[in-house]
Amino acid sequence: MKNVVDAKESSFKDIIKKDIIKNVILMIFLFVAASAIGYLFEHIGVDETNIVVVYLLAVLVTAWLTQSFLFGMLSSLLATFLFSYLFTEPYNAFAVNDPNYIITFIIMTIAALITSTLTYHAKLAAKNAQEKEAETKAIYNLTNHLTDAKNIHDIAGIAVKVISSCFSCKAACLCFDESGMPEQSFIQQVSDDNHVRRAIADIQEYKHKIDGMRTGFDEGNEFFDWPIYGSETTLGVIRIPKENAQNMNEAQNRLLRAMIESTALAMDRFRSSEQRMKSREEIVKERYRGNLLRAISHDLRTPLSGIIGTAEMLADMTKSEESQHSLAEDIRKEADWLHSLVENILNLTRLQDGSLTLKKQMEAVEEIIGGAVAHMAKRAPDYDIRVSMPDELILVPMDAKLIEQALINLLDNAVNHSNSEGEISITVIKNESARHVKFMVQDRGTGIAMSDLPHIFQMFYTSHPNHADARHGIGLGLAICETIVKAHGGNIAAKNRADGLGAEFTFTLPMEEQDEPE
Amino acid sequence: MNPNNYQVLVVEDDAQILKFICYLLDNEGLSYITAGSGQAALSKLVSEYIDVVLLDLGLPDFDGMDVIKKVREWSDMPIIVVSARDQDKEKAAALDSGADDYLTKPFSATELLARIRVALRHISKQGNQAARAVLSVGDLQLDLEKRLVYLDGAELHMTPMEYNLLALLFKNVGKVLTTASIIKEIWGVGYGTDTQALRALMAGLRRKIEKNPAKPRYILTETGIGYRLVDE
Repeated sequence: MKNVVDAKESSFKDIIKKDIIKNVILMIFLFVAASAIGYLFEHIGVDETNIVVVYLLAVLVTAWLTQSFLFGMLSSLLATFLFSYLFTEPYNAFAVNDPNYIITFIIMTIAALITSTLTYHAKLAAKNAQEKEAETKAIYNLTNHLTDAKNIHDIAGIAVKVISSCFSCKAACLCFDESGMPEQSFIQQVSDDNHVRRAIADIQEYKHKIDGMRTGFDEGNEFFDWPIYGSETTLGVIRIPKENAQNMNEAQNRLLRAMIESTALAMDRFRSSEQRMKSREEIVKERYRGNLLRAISHDLRTPLSGIIGTAEMLADMTKSEESQHSLAEDIRKEADWLHSLVENILNLTRLQDGSLTLKKQMEAVEEIIGGAVAHMAKRAPDYDIRVSMPDELILVPMDAKLIEQALINLLDNAVNHSNSEGEISITVIKNESARHVKFMVQDRGTGIAMSDLPHIFQMFYTSHPNHADARHGIGLGLAICETIVKAHGGNIAAKNRADGLGAEFTFTLPMEEQDEPE
Repeated sequence: MNPNNYQVLVVEDDAQILKFICYLLDNEGLSYITAGSGQAALSKLVSEYIDVVLLDLGLPDFDGMDVIKKVREWSDMPIIVVSARDQDKEKAAALDSGADDYLTKPFSATELLARIRVALRHISKQGNQAARAVLSVGDLQLDLEKRLVYLDGAELHMTPMEYNLLALLFKNVGKVLTTASIIKEIWGVGYGTDTQALRALMAGLRRKIEKNPAKPRYILTETGIGYRLVDE
């Protein structure tokens, strides 16, 4: 780093030295010319006053043509000395015989000083104005083009093109994506209308470097990098070759910063409009999904009620020993199963969308159990479900409908995996110290295979994968249970019973209202 | 009670369901009229003699809820709402605006007929209900004059609140009462919508009349909606 600074300083000194020599030569030439004209005037007998005017002209021209204010001052004094040395008696000496000349010298010096000062300032103002104009033009040019950009890379390309032509170098631009990470490659200007992609080696490292930067730009070995800061994140980096960057003066630096600022504005504007468009699309999509779900729920339920009802009627109309009766019963059962599938898919979609918001209220556990048991009594009348729970009233904050659904799913699972002789039981245990209520559903079925245990709550996971007539389930019921229980801030677990065959599902619900789980 | 005396209005826009319901009513020996829209239903209601309305909430022309409100302006005939909507809020709203019962699609034939029978029994009872001071469901009896409750003939001790709740359910036997409407009746309009007190009161009442509160025989819970006293 230090070497770079030194190199920069030394090159800067070189430039100044060259300038000084050039200015000195110019000044000497002008004064030699002025003195020559003076001699000519004296020779043809023109009044001395005119010689003074010629010297003043030389001072003016020097101040106009040289770069430093110092040369103006110097030339003012030089003019007076030369006049005194060459054209007043005694000649070729700095003394004067006529005291009147002293006044001439003083006035001449003052006039020369004022002339040179004014000239210098006029020149400076003109130069500033010119620079400002060029700057404004360049920025206007840039913003004008940026409005036509169609995407963020277009913006980068235009910025690179304008900066390149403005500073006559081959600039490059690296865009950062929405998450604030640099992209894989720079867009680099190679000729007037040509860009190439240049990959960067380590994105992480590069990002770290840009983020950790303390100065306005980063000085690399070959390039200087200026970050493009947006309103929230870094949007990109403008890269300029080292030799061009080092030779930039204050005004050019300012111009470059202004250009980067305009680029940042354009990128920011583009990003936010992109964001707006995305969220609009999101809303539309959300609405479509909602409509679709509503349509499915309505359009599937209505024909299903027709099928279920008609099948039931057919079964009623036939005697139970006739084959038509069992066929009608089969239709009803299949339609019932299809119905629960539709309900489950709907519930799960809504739960995972987050659109099914929990309506938690203090509910009596016995009522929820009663609801679930009554539902199962209708669906599987052959099965007897035993309920054991404390006699006291237990109130738990919950969405009653959802917890009932979870219990129904667990009972359904138990019914599917056992025959009607095997007892199914629900046990409720209130754990005062842990401040939760435990619900346990047990069956006397075949239990859970060890290989199934870890996956049992996964969506679309079913035991009996080879079962062609897969009436056992579609692997949504338990996934829904888990989603519901988790949404209430509880836990769910599955295991095999310790006291013989059968599966045991337990879930807990906290007894106090708690903050929404993350 | 001859079922042929009764006429059911079936308001349903889905042809398949309509066919199925009509077949069912035919089988049961009930006469019926059908309407495919809310407008048709209203004109049938004023021009025909109707005992029970079977109403689909999702009608093509206007919301079934409006039909309920219109009917309730001049009649308290039983209205059974049939709907594919599973939103409890809508069910509760339909019940609160005056519907007597609800069924969610898909429903079973037995369920539908059971609900219609309950509604019809109501009409037949209504005439002599005023004269009856003792109401009974199963082994449970309620003496409105003496404010006493009997189970299997033995008197049960009830707190005034429990008696009020049970009496309210008895007066609306077979009907689903929403939690909100019960709270309004028992605690008054200003009480708000907190259900916790009702749950506790119900638990106390059930412990007195039910053998197993988790498998109630008399007062059934309609989860997310309210309660219903069974009509046997």
